[in-house]
Parts: sequence; structure tokens; C-alpha cells
Amino acid sequence: MGLGGARAMAMARVRALLAKELLDLSRNRLALLPVGLITILSLVLPFGIAVAIPMLTGQELGSDADLVKVSGVAVGHESLTPSARVQLFLFQQFLLLFLLTPITGAMALAAHAVIGEKQARTLEPLLATPVSTGELLVAKMLGALLPTLVISLAGLGLYLGGIVATAAPGVAAAMLSLRTAMLAIWVGPAAALVSLQSAIIISSRVNDARTAQQFGVLIIIPLAAVLVAQFTGALWLSSTMLALLGLGLVGVWLLLVLLSVAIFDRDSILTRWR
Amino acid sequence: MISAQHLTRRFAARAVVADVSFDVSKSEIVALLGPNGAGKTTTMRMLGGLIAPTSGSVVIDGVPLTPATAGTLRARIGFLTESPGLWDRLTVRENLRTYAALYGLSQPDRAIERVTDVLQLSPQASVRAAELSKGMRQKVALARALLHEPPVMLLDEPTSGLDPEITRGVRRLLEERRAAGCAILVSTHNLDEAERLADRVAVLHERLLAIDRPAALRRRLATGRLIVRVTGDPARSLETVRRFDPEATIEGPVLVLKVVDAEERTPAIVAALVAAGAGVVEVRPEMPALEDAYLQLMSRQGG
Repeated sequence: MGLGGARAMAMARVRALLAKELLDLSRNRLALLPVGLITILSLVLPFGIAVAIPMLTGQELGSDADLVKVSGVAVGHESLTPSARVQLFLFQQFLLLFLLTPITGAMALAAHAVIGEKQARTLEPLLATPVSTGELLVAKMLGALLPTLVISLAGLGLYLGGIVATAAPGVAAAMLSLRTAMLAIWVGPAAALVSLQSAIIISSRVNDARTAQQFGVLIIIPLAAVLVAQFTGALWLSSTMLALLGLGLVGVWLLLVLLSVAIFDRDSILTRWR
Repeated sequence: MISAQHLTRRFAARAVVADVSFDVSKSEIVALLGPNGAGKTTTMRMLGGLIAPTSGSVVIDGVPLTPATAGTLRARIGFLTESPGLWDRLTVRENLRTYAALYGLSQPDRAIERVTDVLQLSPQASVRAAELSKGMRQKVALARALLHEPPVMLLDEPTSGLDPEITRGVRRLLEERRAAGCAILVSTHNLDEAERLADRVAVLHERLLAIDRPAALRRRLATGRLIVRVTGDPARSLETVRRFDPEATIEGPVLVLKVVDAEERTPAIVAALVAAGAGVVEVRPEMPALEDAYLQLMSRQGG
């Protein structure tokens, strides 16, 4: 078989495993509940802060001088009122949170990917087939990523729809920018790739699901650090920086794929895990 | 088709399989017998390319098993694992379809239809695996191992926990695969199954203790009874036969000896009796069971 044929076979095996993962998940929808709940919370939070609280308290967002200053530096849009600019700033900041937090929900899926097969005793027959370690791990990662992205994108539609419906004039138009697109279709999925591949590595190195999930939580820390830095105004990622960040994340993901293949020890998994 | 040469597998300092060599030819079924912890599953996994031997080599269908060839060779092996390992939320057909794709079958539906027909699983094809009985799950696992019509089959306890009817069906199926040219290695605790099914039996207890045809193993390893009827009073011949078995007894009208490999020793016993002036009316060996041979081997190992 030529290289092209071997690659086609590899792709077919990844597709087969991915189809199985999605089918299995479709019959265990409760597993997606954490992702759905986090997405809903991520929707409620920004609208609560940027729309509901000012409306209920009667205190305009533009009355906070510090916020106005930070938002002016961060978002530009001099034509907007100070309140609208702060609102835009908040919606832009929460967009990152909104895109990253569903990943934390999907971590449970990814962390369970290998250890779950082992505990269900379905891993050994799988490893007895021609499937390679790389194919198996990529399919596992995609099995957690795709449903997460679907939920995230559906949520993004609601998020932008909500902004159109409730935000101050000019905010919605300002949100529909290259930066938003970059975050939504480039950085968000790339961060998801890195996080979920890391969780897959953890899943293939520990020997029980609880440990996998506990280690998985640690992956959230860098994401939280980025969010905090953004909110304090210490870190503002422009479109160019986001493009580079996404590229860097994809590079890290590729390295993680290689690492996950290198350290996936079939021998130990089959003989020492109980 | 399957060749294991000096296979050894250690876990830390402990050898689970030590210096095991044997072959399984085309159109042959070899049963791997041994107690729990004897190294049967480890041997199967090494032959299937799932784990690496600490030393020794495996050749499958003429190709040495190495990390580079393992993927290709696994496509030529039907491996039945100790546990069926089905995806519970998927139906029988969905389970098989996934494996058909992993084996790269060009006509997966036809392959699934064939194996479900052969194993009489068609009525269960749309049933989720979680709803199947233990026997049915084992049948689906066997169907999965047969999907790609492999020339080599490694089956770990294929009839474990199955009812007699299904067991007979599985046995028939394996006989058909053997007739089709398949090399089959079956690990089992079931001595009766080994005797009925296998062309040869390999007894494993860390090392390979014996490998031969079941009848030859029984004859060679176990103590059988030899019933000797002579003319006149058997007590007169007791001293003669005690040269062959010091504990030979008289049971009614016959002499009873316990000897290993009775068939081979019978001519010498008859000659000694005739030389002593006895008239030999009948010599009848009572063949030991394979179980006797197995237990005798195990007792020598302290197993």
C-alpha cells in the first residue's frame, strides 16, 4: 500500500472512531450537561453585569472613571458614548471567557476518554485492531472537541443575538469585528485543541477516572490567568496578537499530539491498569 | 502461521512467561492450557502484538512481529479478548460496523451479515450491547474477531461462561475456520473443550510444560490402569506384574497395574507373564483422562 493509501486508511479509522464517539455521546447526552450549563452561565454573567445591573441600579457603566479609561485604551471606538464603550469592553472581555469556559466542561469528556475505555474493558479489543496510537488519540480528542464546539457556536449565536437585542446603540456593530471572528473561529477552537489534547494525555497516563479529572482541572489555570489579566486591563490582545496566539496554540497542539503518542504506553495500560 | 520462539515476559523481576516456544500451523487448532496466572493471556497478548516480549520473537504468517509490522499484522489476526469489551450504548451492528471500518473492509455490511448469520446473531443486530446476555456478548465478540476473515485467530477463553448449546456452536465454527485454513490458538481452562477441539494441547505454567496431541499427552504423562486377565489364579502372576508396578493389586479375577504409557509397556508385561508360565487371556488399558495428565503436570510444578 502506498503512502496515499495508508493515509486514507488512517483517516478512515479516525472517522470510524469519531463516529463511534459521537454516537455513544448522543446516547449519553447527560455527559454534555456540564458543557451546556457552563455555556448558559457564561451567557448569563456578561448580560447580568453589562446590561441588567446598570438597568436595575440606575447607575450607568460610564460613571466609573477607571472603567472608562481602561475601555478607551482597549477598544477604541471614540464615537461611542462612555457607557457604550464600557459595555463593548465588557462584552469583548466576556467573549474570551465565553469561548474558553465550555472547554472546561469538555475536559471531563476528554479526561475520561482512555481510562473510560479501559474501565469498560473496551480498550484491549480496540488495541488489537490495526488502529495506531495517533489515530486513537486524535479521534478521542475530536470526540470531545466537536460537540463542545457545536455547543459553543450555538451559544455564540445567542451571545451575539443578545448583544444585538439588549446592548447600547453601536455596541453590536462594534462587536462584529475581525477580533471577534478571530476569537470565535481561531483562538477558541485552538485553545480547545490544546486543553483537550492535554486531558487526553492525562487520561492515558493515570489509572482511574477521578485522578484524570482532578489533573484536568489544572489545565484551566492558564486559561483563568489570561482572563484575569484581560479584565484588569493588563493584557489586551489585538487581532494580530490573537492570530499569533492561535497559531502558537495550534503548534502546541501538534507537539502535544506527538507527545501523547510517544508516552501512550500500550504495555502498561494493558498489564498494570486495573 | 504462528511461531513463538523463546518468548519471555517479565514484570519487574518476575517472569510471567519464560522461554516459551511453539508453532501453530495452517489448519490447526492448538489449545493453551494452564491454571490462573500461568501466563496464557500474556502469551496471547504477545502473539497479538498488544504487548512486547522481554525477549524472544514472534512470527505471524511469515512476517516477524516488530513495532513496525505490528499494525499490519494485527489486521491479519482475529483476537478475542478475555472480556467481550463491547460498547454498551451501541447496538450489535454498530459495534461491528466500527470494527469493520477499523479493519478497512470494503464491504462492511456484507461482512457483518455474514458473521451475524454464522453466529445466529441476526435477530440481535439492532439490540444495544448492554441488553445482551453474557453468552450473546461473547458471541458478538467472536463475530468481531471473525469480521475480517483473519488467517490467524487468537482466542482467549472463547467459551467461558457459555451454555452448552452456544459452546457447541462456537466449537463448530472454529472447526469450520480450521477447515478453511486458519491457524487457531485457543486459551482455555476447559480440559474437555481442549480435548474435543484441539489438534494439539500446550500446557503452560510460566514455561511450556508439554505440547502434543491430547491422546499422546494422556498416554505420555498420566498414569493409566492396565487390566490383565490370566488363566487360573491371578495371585500366581502378582509377583511378575509387580516388577512393573510394585503396587499392582488383584481385583476379583483380574490383575490391576498403574503404569505411565500403558500402551508402550504392554508388550513387555505380556512377555514377562508368558515367560513366567501364565496364560494371558486379556490385556486392557484404561486410558487416563486429559485432566489426569494435566493435573499430574501441575502437581509436578506445585501448581
